[in-house]
Amino acid sequence: MNAVEVAVVGAGPGGLAAAVAAAERGAQVTVIDSGRQPGGQYYRVPGDGVPGDGVPVHAPRREAGQRLVARAAAAGVRFLSGATVWGAFPGNLLALSSADGPRALQAQLVILATGAYDRPVAFPGWTLPGVLTAGAAQALLVETGTLPGKRIVLAGSGPLQITLAAELLRTGAQLVGLFEGQSLPAVLPFLRALLNQRARVAEGMAALRTLARHGVVPQTGWGIVAAEGGEEVEQVTVARLDAEWRLIPGSERTLACDTLLVGYGFVPSSTLARLLGAAHAYRPEWGGEVPVRDARCRTTAPGVYAVGDGAGIGGAPLALLEGELAGIDAAAQTGHGQATADAAIAALAPALARERRFMQTYAALFTPGPGLAERARDDTILCRCEDITQAEVRHALELGADSAAEVKSITRAGMGNCQGRICGRLLAELVARERGLPVTEADLWAPRPPIFPVPVSHLDPVWAVAPKEVAQ
Amino acid sequence: MKQARRTAADVVIIGGGIVGCSAAYFLAGRGARVVLLEKGVIGGEASGRNGGGVRAQCRDRFERPLAMASVKLWVEMQPDLGFETEYTQGGNIRLAVTEERMASLTREGEEELADGLMVEVWDRETLRRRAPYLADNFLGAKYCPTDGTANPLLATRAIGWAARRRGASLRTRTAAAAIDVRGGQVESVTAVDRDGELVIETPHVIHAAGAWSVPLARTIGVDLPVHPERNLIGVTQRRPRQFTEFLSSHDAGVYARQAREGHIHVGCIGSRPGFFDSQPGPLEIAPLARGVRLLPDLAGARYLRTWGGTLDMTPDRIPIIGPVDGIGGYFLAAGFSGHGFCIGPIVGRLLTEWLLDGAPSLSLDAFQYARFAALAHALP
Repeated sequence: MNAVEVAVVGAGPGGLAAAVAAAERGAQVTVIDSGRQPGGQYYRVPGDGVPGDGVPVHAPRREAGQRLVARAAAAGVRFLSGATVWGAFPGNLLALSSADGPRALQAQLVILATGAYDRPVAFPGWTLPGVLTAGAAQALLVETGTLPGKRIVLAGSGPLQITLAAELLRTGAQLVGLFEGQSLPAVLPFLRALLNQRARVAEGMAALRTLARHGVVPQTGWGIVAAEGGEEVEQVTVARLDAEWRLIPGSERTLACDTLLVGYGFVPSSTLARLLGAAHAYRPEWGGEVPVRDARCRTTAPGVYAVGDGAGIGGAPLALLEGELAGIDAAAQTGHGQATADAAIAALAPALARERRFMQTYAALFTPGPGLAERARDDTILCRCEDITQAEVRHALELGADSAAEVKSITRAGMGNCQGRICGRLLAELVARERGLPVTEADLWAPRPPIFPVPVSHLDPVWAVAPKEVAQ
Repeated sequence: MKQARRTAADVVIIGGGIVGCSAAYFLAGRGARVVLLEKGVIGGEASGRNGGGVRAQCRDRFERPLAMASVKLWVEMQPDLGFETEYTQGGNIRLAVTEERMASLTREGEEELADGLMVEVWDRETLRRRAPYLADNFLGAKYCPTDGTANPLLATRAIGWAARRRGASLRTRTAAAAIDVRGGQVESVTAVDRDGELVIETPHVIHAAGAWSVPLARTIGVDLPVHPERNLIGVTQRRPRQFTEFLSSHDAGVYARQAREGHIHVGCIGSRPGFFDSQPGPLEIAPLARGVRLLPDLAGARYLRTWGGTLDMTPDRIPIIGPVDGIGGYFLAAGFSGHGFCIGPIVGRLLTEWLLDGAPSLSLDAFQYARFAALAHALP
């Protein structure tokens, strides 16, 4: 077993910033990340042999990520890449699994920078091959330089769709349609929020110019209804949305395509924080269930920080600031740079406040309305790991289930490989709607280790059990 | 304060586990007005969180007749439940690594045959032939073909739902708060749910709340020698269908079964004291790696998830069933010590007979609460 002062889980912007800040102040830091190389989703590095300039929008980001990784390495940060944290136990004992075998890491402090994943939205046909999340398409694009398809429909919400659309166009895709769920009048206040956001404006303007050059006009107030096809998606239906994001009957339109990308925002990856016992609150504007934190990003679990999107969707700039703040505080807590910590944290305050204000506006504008959760029909699969349909979930409700956890027990929904990361929220939303309860994800089941599938022999990171050993 | 709501029942059952639900099912089937109180959800504790074994072999000799009758009842009940419980009689293999274990299994097999339970003692070669998927270091085994498994998450619920169809009132998320005894006779039970207090007038209480029975029983002067133990099960990813039997080895400290969808469930023999109200600790989860001691193929498998349950253990590892002197109408059914999933249905039926006919059709003498009277004085 290894002991470290500070363990950082996740090597995206938040994790890297935390590692750099803590290590440059003298703390001994280990960063654990499941990716092949540090960077996370945001700074994702192309795979071997993939030309990095294949995705021009991405190049400055990738370079910024590489600079952070280099700074971390120079400060003595140890990276455990390709390692998954499958268990976390009181006292901040982390259980890891990687191709090299099991490993236990005893940390004085843990900084969780676990990021987020695309919000799952169930609609007829969402499990067809050719239907991807926007995040998956972007990862594919950056990692392999390839497009998910030729004729693409993009449906979602938020300016990220615009940037992704531009990347797709520049890589040679044909964009059949770009549908923003929010209506144009509702989006206008966003322009004011952009006033002192130079980097964002520059990125957005460049993307809009690309769209204009290709003759793509984003349709606002439109959303996905269904995807149809035999073996894979062949066409999609979209429709106009009302203020609650419910479909306006009669407005449906069908488009032929070979790929549908869906990007209705993100959900924080907070399983590890919940496993460590951190109290959570349901904040739909931050993506769902998020850890409760103090001003220094400390959760209610002793010695556990949470930063970045995993603690509430806030984007990379906010993650960088939160990571730095937590890194400074964690270093101070382990006896490094205490004298300057308070001043350094205070110096971050104005930028933090600005980013949080921006994200508040962003969330108020682009958080999908309740109608988005009502697209599934009874024959729509909700749990794609176990193939459980909405009808089966409704049957469990008729039998008396009154929580997502009980629906899971009765139907197997959420028992598959993703352990409910995809369907858990869909179930909670359905239960809430049918039972007239608020969507509190307290109704979700408690995570238990392993939170990722782990080789049987890796369950014992301390005393790996030899297969031949039998006697007690 | 709101005025407490009031209702009445012939029997109030405290605890929506397999014992309580089975009692509700049989009582309601004979026309009794039943109210079942469950603090959480039906089958949400030990009844829904166990290895899923339904076996009559390798039982305490007092428990054997109950287990044999319960296996028959498991078979009989299925068609009426109206919900798939995944119950199958896939057999039970109890394995031996040591000569001593082999000898004791052989002795036990003779007793079981004498009691009318069909079992087979397998030597090494037979075991190899009948169960080639097992690790090769077992000397032999005892096999009972009528034993089997069910899905614990579904079985208790299915019995509960069937009881409800027969007219029993199942009140979930409703905790029993007090048993009111006047003049040596049960008069009512007070429960608390989301809306406040509920008083149920009743002459009969069946107290079947597992390890949670202890504090409430104490309020009416019943000191249950029951303590909680934590039990953890690991589930692998889906695997090709390999075996139907429930496997266990005390020498290897591990048991396993393959569920209908192909997942292999593994549990360890030897649990730790305490309620399973917290995450499993690293030393609790690590022994699940023992699965490979039974099934070498598991070396290439992955654990997908774990779950934990709380066993209600008695000093002699058999349950406490029946009335308590001085408290008319109060029936205990607790301390099942990990055996409740199999024998729950028959215990539900025997309690029904006791309440409605005055006596159970199988003797429950060995399970009296009074057997601990002497012990109580000896305890610190």
